[in-house]
Amino acid sequence: MLPLLPFFIFTAFFLIWPVIAVTLRSFKGNKNEWTLANYRPILHKGPYFHAFVTSLKLSITTAVIGSILGAFFAYIIVKYARGKFGAVIDSISAVFANSGGVPLAFMFVAAFGTEGIVTKLLKDFGWDIYAGHFTIFSFTGVVLVYSFFQVPLMVLVFKPAIAGLRHEWEEASINLGASPFTYWRRVGIPLLVPSFVGAFFLLFAGGFSAYATARALTVGTVPLVPIIIGTLVDGNVISDQANLGDALAVGMILVATVAMAGYIWAGRRAARWRQS
Amino acid sequence: MRKFTLKWPLITTASLLATFIFLVPLYGATLFSFKGNGGKGHSWVNYQWLIHADGFYPSLFTSLKLAVLAAALNLLLMVPTMVYLNLKGQRFKSLVDFLCILPLIIPVVSLAIGAQVAMPKFLQNTQYELVFFFVIIALPYTYRALDTSLQTVALKTLVEASRSLGASWTRTIIRVIVPAIRSGITGALFLTFALSIGEYTITSLLHWETFPTWTVVAAQQNILGAIAISVFSFVGAIALLSAIALFSKRGSQRVEVEE
Repeated sequence: MLPLLPFFIFTAFFLIWPVIAVTLRSFKGNKNEWTLANYRPILHKGPYFHAFVTSLKLSITTAVIGSILGAFFAYIIVKYARGKFGAVIDSISAVFANSGGVPLAFMFVAAFGTEGIVTKLLKDFGWDIYAGHFTIFSFTGVVLVYSFFQVPLMVLVFKPAIAGLRHEWEEASINLGASPFTYWRRVGIPLLVPSFVGAFFLLFAGGFSAYATARALTVGTVPLVPIIIGTLVDGNVISDQANLGDALAVGMILVATVAMAGYIWAGRRAARWRQS
Repeated sequence: MRKFTLKWPLITTASLLATFIFLVPLYGATLFSFKGNGGKGHSWVNYQWLIHADGFYPSLFTSLKLAVLAAALNLLLMVPTMVYLNLKGQRFKSLVDFLCILPLIIPVVSLAIGAQVAMPKFLQNTQYELVFFFVIIALPYTYRALDTSLQTVALKTLVEASRSLGASWTRTIIRVIVPAIRSGITGALFLTFALSIGEYTITSLLHWETFPTWTVVAAQQNILGAIAISVFSFVGAIALLSAIALFSKRGSQRVEVEE
């Protein structure tokens, strides 16, 4: 036990204590009295409620796109990219999955901004992407940028599940008279569903918590919960409730906890057949 | 025979999609970063602006310094912890595992707000407070990296051999265990370094200036320059993470040979 003490003290002080402290303060009013008032603006319709809806919409959309495209890529990679090439794709995925943040935002401005390379190229082909409501600084723009790290994250997380499908299972079902379609419908896809759901939750949690990319890209044009917390902290927006930001932060922890509980639950279901 | 007809259409679709999602933005940004004054011609002008810009070197230096410290502290904390866990502390493993997963669950924004509430004033007054939070953010990855490589070596045998030959615990860890799990250590080291040097959320919410936060401010003056910074950072990240992949591959091969 003794050699573990530094670790426990460190995490207790720098991880657990901040979470407890912010939770406690979220129940305090302006005069330091206990209250639920900070949570009221989140639960009633208004800008803060709307921010949670937008954040949830963003994280669900990017998780759907990321998990479907990522699963497709993972399948192709497992099936066709073996050996050295597969290893190269692995490390590229790792780089891209961790590449969220400020540089990513500016790279997409260069490509899909009003003067962007892709925007101009598409215009030459007769498709003006800025003819409608689209801008890179809008909700759709953020979705596009988030795909850049959500898709490779899905590849990383989901590839082991596809690689774990044993060849014998496919052969067995084909020997028993199944068509490849039947094999996927009755064996392959049911086996992959738990891993897929788990990965979806992970992508959802990541998209929900992401701050840097959206902050650098939108500068507040898309109202997301983390961005609003940021503006409250910076004092750019003054609320008559001093500890409103704390309540928003606790709300985020709750959403993320539900998502990660889903991730862990799905992971256990997926592990059931993998070990046997 | 079905597979043969499907193979190339599938690969083509995947390659086209990958090109669109990944290569096009990279290519676009690179091209943009070489645009000349007023968007005409091609030149190094944006990169020249970058290295002469106010705050480029100081913020880069701060980021490097904090990242090195975070990587060092991380190893100092986690190597003994993980060795003990795998040697004697099995019953604490699920608890430590859970604590190390927590930074993935708790949104970094929430952690930053919590830090503002909870940290004592003397820590909040120095930029070195960031080092501790960089270590926290890196925990999920460090845990995985060290645990994987510790499980590939015969830890008990190594420790017993070293101790029975009269080596102290410190000496055993430094001279026997560390070389044996070199791949995990380099992985943890580079990952912590990479995460720390690119960290934006906690840094900006706690109002410190490092390279990423400086970038956002600089972008407001010169967007082409900001794109040049982004290309510079991205290429740096790719180089760093490729180095991790290379090092950890080599390290794991060594361990296999030794066994």
